[in-house]
Amino acid sequence: MRTIVTAVAVLILAVLPVAAPWLQFVLTLAIAKGFAALGVAVLLRAGLISIGHAMFFAASAYGVAFLARAGVNDLGLLLIFSVLTAALVGAIAGLFLIRYRAIFFAMLNLAVSMVFYALCAKLYGVTGGTDGMPVPIPAVFGIMLGEPLFKTVLFYLSLVLMLLVGLAVQRYLNSPLGHALSAVHSNEIRLEYLGIPVWAVLLIAYVVSAALAGLGGAIAGFAIGRVVPDFAFWTASGHLVLIAVLGGIGGVPGAFIGALFLELLHSAAVTVTDAWNLIVGLTLIVVIMFLPQGFYGLFSRKEASSL
Amino acid sequence: MAFKSISTVVARCLSSLERSLGLDRSVPQANLRLVADGLAGALAIGLVATTPVAAQEKPSSLGLGVFTFTSGPAAAYGMPGKNAADLMIDEINAKGGIEGVPVKATYVDEAQGAQGVIAEYRRLAGDAQNQVMIAALSSATCLALAPLAEQLEVPTVGWNCDTHQLLIDGKSKYVFRPNGNTVPEFIAYAIYLLERKPDVKTVAIINPDYAFGHDAAKIFTAALKALKPDVEIVAELYPKLGSPNYQTEISRLTTAHPDVVFSNFWGADLENFVRQATPRGLFTSSQVVLALGETVLQRVPLPDGVIVGVLGDGWWMSPDAKVNQETVKFAEAYKARFGEYPVFPAIKMANTLIYVKAAYKAAMQKNGGKWPSRADLADAMKGSTVATLTGTVRTRADNDGLVDQIVGVTVKTPTQQFPVIGDMVRYKGDSLMPQGGQDPLAWISTLKPEFSKSLPKPGSYK
Repeated sequence: MRTIVTAVAVLILAVLPVAAPWLQFVLTLAIAKGFAALGVAVLLRAGLISIGHAMFFAASAYGVAFLARAGVNDLGLLLIFSVLTAALVGAIAGLFLIRYRAIFFAMLNLAVSMVFYALCAKLYGVTGGTDGMPVPIPAVFGIMLGEPLFKTVLFYLSLVLMLLVGLAVQRYLNSPLGHALSAVHSNEIRLEYLGIPVWAVLLIAYVVSAALAGLGGAIAGFAIGRVVPDFAFWTASGHLVLIAVLGGIGGVPGAFIGALFLELLHSAAVTVTDAWNLIVGLTLIVVIMFLPQGFYGLFSRKEASSL
Repeated sequence: MAFKSISTVVARCLSSLERSLGLDRSVPQANLRLVADGLAGALAIGLVATTPVAAQEKPSSLGLGVFTFTSGPAAAYGMPGKNAADLMIDEINAKGGIEGVPVKATYVDEAQGAQGVIAEYRRLAGDAQNQVMIAALSSATCLALAPLAEQLEVPTVGWNCDTHQLLIDGKSKYVFRPNGNTVPEFIAYAIYLLERKPDVKTVAIINPDYAFGHDAAKIFTAALKALKPDVEIVAELYPKLGSPNYQTEISRLTTAHPDVVFSNFWGADLENFVRQATPRGLFTSSQVVLALGETVLQRVPLPDGVIVGVLGDGWWMSPDAKVNQETVKFAEAYKARFGEYPVFPAIKMANTLIYVKAAYKAAMQKNGGKWPSRADLADAMKGSTVATLTGTVRTRADNDGLVDQIVGVTVKTPTQQFPVIGDMVRYKGDSLMPQGGQDPLAWISTLKPEFSKSLPKPGSYK
C-alpha cells in the first residue's frame, strides 16, 4: 500500500516537468531542501532542534564551487566530495554541539551557522562576498551536457537519490542506532545505564544529518548555478526546520512532502501578489493548527487505524 | 478552455487511482485529494504556459518580466523603480503600446533571494509572450540570472545591475546593461573630488558591507591613488546593510578627522547615517561624498556643499532633462502620482523601458514590419544608440552601456524646498570606461594624474 502511494507520487513528480518545464527547477530545489529538512528531522527524533543546518547546506554548495574552481569537473566526484565536506564540518561542529540539549543546542547551532555565514559574506576575496561564487555545469561521466539537458539529468538524479537515500535513512531510523535517538529524547540516563554511549549515537546522527543537508546543498548549488552567503543565513535554517515540522517527522517522506508543498506554495504565492510572505505565512498557520503531525500525519494515521 | 479540461482530466485520473487503491473517504483522504488536485492544477497551468505563440504575428499583448525589490529594506531603492515602470508602461499603453501592442508587466520581488528569483525567471521565460526581462536591481541577482539568460536565450536588460563583473567576459549575447557600472560611477567621484579639493590628503570610507560597498571602495581608492598617489585612506568601515545605528562609526570617523568621507550608502541606511552624522558635525569637519545622495535629497535636509551624484545621468533636473519635454512631463506625472519627484533609480527604470521600446522599433524596421522574435530583439539592442529621458545610452560590442556621469554638490535653490545639485559636471560615458575585455582595476591603476586635464571641470555643465 505504502509502496504504491510512494511509487505514484514519484511518478507524478517525474512527469510534472515534462508538462511544465519551469517546474523542473522548483521541484529540483524542493527535493534539495527536502534532503536538508530530512537531516533536521533526524535530529528532531532525538528532540534536538538545529536552527543552523543551513550551514551544512551552504558548506557543501561552497564546496562544489571551490572544487569546481580548483578544476574538479565531474558531477559524481563533486557530489561525493561536497557531501563529505559537509559531513566533515558536521563532525567538527558535532563534537562539541552534541553535548548540549534543548534551547542551548538550538542556539549554539544558530551561533555557529551565523559565524559561517559571516565568514562567507566577509571573506570577500575568497568567497566573492555577497555576490557569491558561480557553480559551472560539470561533466556527467565525462560527457559535457548542455544546460537544459544537465538540469534534466540533475532533476532525475535527485529523484533517484531521493528514493535511494530515503530508503537508506529509513533503514537507519529503524535500526537500533535510529531507535536510540527517540530513546535519547525520552530518557537519556536510562540509555546510558543500558550501556549505549549517547554521545556516539548523537554524533553519528549529527554527521548523518549534516551529510544529508550537504547533499541538498550540492544539488541546490548545481540547480541555481550560483552560491551566495544567504544559503547559510539563519532564516534559511529556520526554513528547513519549518519544512521538517510541516511535513512531519514521523517518517522519511515527511521532509520531502513538506519541501514540495512549501516550494509550490511559494511559487504560486509570488505570482499572485507582492505580499507573498503573507500567503505563505497564513497557509503555514492553518497547516500547523489543523495538522499538528504535519502532512505525513495524514498517511501514518491511516496506517495506524488499519492495524 | 485548455486549462479547465486538462485539470479535470488529470484530477479524474488521480481520483480513479485513489478509488482503485481502495482509499476510503475519511477526512485525511480528503486532504490528500486536495494535494492531488493542487498538483493537477499545477500541471495544467504548466501546459497552458508552454503553449507556443507564433513569433511573427503581432500578439494581443506583450509581456515584460520586471525584477525589482518590492519588499524588505532594499525596496527603498526598488520601489521608485517599480513606480517608474508602472507610470512609464501606463504612458506607453495610453499611446497604443509598443508598436501597437499593449504592454503588460509582471513584477518579481527580488527579496525572495536567488532561488525564488530564478524560479520566477524560468516560469516567465517559459511563456513566449514574455519576450524581454528587465532584470534586475541587485548585482547578485543579475549575476545569478545572467547564465540563465544566455541558456534560455531571453533578452535580459539590467536596469540597475551595477557590478562591473556582469559583462566582463564580453561573451554575452542576451544580457544587456544600458546603464553605467561601478567603474565609471565611482571614478567620476574621485575625479570630481580632486578637481574640487585638489589638496586632499586623508580619506575615510564608510560603505555597506556587501559586494557593492566593497567594489565601490576598491574602485574609488584605486582611482584616487592613481590620480593623486599621496592620498591616504585613514579608515575603511563596513557596517552591516540595514543597520539602524551608526554612532560608533561616526565616532571613528570624527576622531580620524579625514579631509574627506566617502560613502555609497543608500536607502534607509543613508537617511539614518545623514540624520545621525549631521548633529555630530561630520558634515562641517569633513568634505562628505555621498555617491547615492540624490536619492535622499527630497527626504532629509542635507547641508550645502556635499558632493552627490546619480550614478549615471539620471538627474531629473539636469540641464538636458529640463529641455526635454518628455522628461518634464514624466517628472510631473511621477510627482502627482507618488508624491515625490523621480529619484535616479526611477529614471534608470524609465530609461531602460525606453531602451526596450527602441529595440522593438529597430527590430521591426529591420525585418520589414514583422513582429520580432527574442533573438531579433537581442540583435537590435546590440550596438544600439538610444535617446533616453536624460541623455543617450550607447551599447558597446560587449553589451555594456555607455552613459554619461553627472556629479555635483548640494546647493539651495529658491524654486524647490529641498536642496538640488549644483556646480555640476557631466563626464562623457566612454571617457571613464576601460575598453571591452580589459580588467577594470588594472586599467584604473594605469591612469595618470594628467588624466583629468582633458575632462570637463566642475561647474561646466549648466
